[in-house]
Order: sequence, then C-alpha cells, then structure tokens
Amino acid sequence: MEPTPELIEEIDRERIRAARAMSGEEKVLLGLQLFQCTCRIIADGIRDEFPDADVRRVQEILRERLAIARRLEDTP
Amino acid sequence: MTPDEAIAAMIDALGAGGIPFMLVGSQVTNFYGVARMTQDADFVLQVESGRVLQIVDHLGPPFRLERQMSFELITATTRWCVSLTGTPFSFDLFLLSDDPHDRERFRHRRQVQILGRQVAIPTVEDTIITKLRWSQQGRRPKDIEDVRNVIAVQGGRIDWEYVAAWCQQHGTEGLLEGLRRRAAE
Repeated sequence: MEPTPELIEEIDRERIRAARAMSGEEKVLLGLQLFQCTCRIIADGIRDEFPDADVRRVQEILRERLAIARRLEDTP
Repeated sequence: MTPDEAIAAMIDALGAGGIPFMLVGSQVTNFYGVARMTQDADFVLQVESGRVLQIVDHLGPPFRLERQMSFELITATTRWCVSLTGTPFSFDLFLLSDDPHDRERFRHRRQVQILGRQVAIPTVEDTIITKLRWSQQGRRPKDIEDVRNVIAVQGGRIDWEYVAAWCQQHGTEGLLEGLRRRAAE
C-alpha cells in the first residue's frame, strides 16, 4: 500500500520533529517500550501456537526467537 | 501512553465502534515470527471513510488524524495515518479494498489474543503473500526481512500450495522460492 510521496515526506518530517522534541532519556525509554511491546506480541503468538505452554516455557521460546532474530540480522 | 497501550486503545475503539477490522503488517509478523521493533501499527477496516474520522475523533488526544488521506496503489484503497502525539509512533488505517486477495485474507482472518484483547489477524499464509507483494511493488526490503523471519519460525506449518497459488497471480513466486531456498540452507 503506497501513500503519495508528499504524504510520506510529511509523515517522515512529523516523525523527525517528534524525535527531535524528545530528550535522549525519552528516546531510550521509547526504545524500551517498543521492545516491551514487541516481546508482548511475540509472547501472545507463542501462547497461540503452544496453548499448553506455561509461563516459563513461553519465556524460553521467546528467548529462542530473540536469538533467531539476532542470527537473521547477522545473515547477509 | 506507551505503544502497547496505544495499540490496545485503538483495538478497543474499533471494537466499540462495531467495525469489522484486522490488525496487519509488522505487528502481525512479530506475532508469527521473531522480533522486529516497529514504530507503527497497521489495521484494515471494513468501513466507509466517514466512520474513520468519527473513531479517531472519539479516541481524542494523544491520537491525531493526519489531515490528508492517501491512496494505496497496490490494492487501490484509501489509507489514513493517525499519529500518537509527542512520539514517532503512528497507525495506518487502510479501508478494505476490492482486491481479490485483500478480500480473501479479510474473509480468512482469525481471532487471537493480543495485548489482552481478542483481535482479528490474517493467517500466516496471507501475511506472507501480502508482504511479498508489498516488497515487490512497494520496493520495501523490510517486508522481505519480515517474510524471512516468519518462514524461519513457521516454515513447517505453512500451507505452501495456497501461498504459491497467490504468489503466482501476483508475480512474486520467484521471491517466495528464493526465500524458501535460503530458509532450507
């Protein structure tokens, strides 16, 4: 789905403006919040795939998936 | 408001508005695959444009509807952008199009639990098909990464025949084959 180039520019400008208005501390916090949000959604997916998994097992699989993500990032 | 609180608020608002909808995009590839941090959340809505304005209006601050809607060229539909004021986080709200695959993935959407809420998402197969189409027509490498990540996790459970049939129609079968070969290595 492709928005017009003008809109992309406008949104990018808006994002850059928002990022510039944030302090370094706020940006670190946002990064942590995004990571937390990502992990919550991955964990929801793991629970959907493994309905019998307990909390500990879900955490184990989550760690495995984060390791896969790091490995894939390093793969050209 | 944190990103997960904002996504949950959007899900609640769409649900309360009685709008048939599904969460799509990279939040869904996170659900099926491995982590990729993303600063937006995408939804497909079966509704007319006027209701989108009402929903976002009802959400109020910190949600802010961008002034200009845009047209998405791949499935020929309308897209609204909603930003979360004070952060770079945003939402893309797409109206359900008449595109055959867009219709099919919406029909096949499944209910799952995300962020403590019941929410519809496309199947893993339809997620792959859409991402491959966007990666080709939208020339977006991150979509290829998303598909690669989903295949890495879900590869054995995917109905490849269904995926291949749509990819053939979209002209993305070469991309699919390449990714499957890489996953098998």
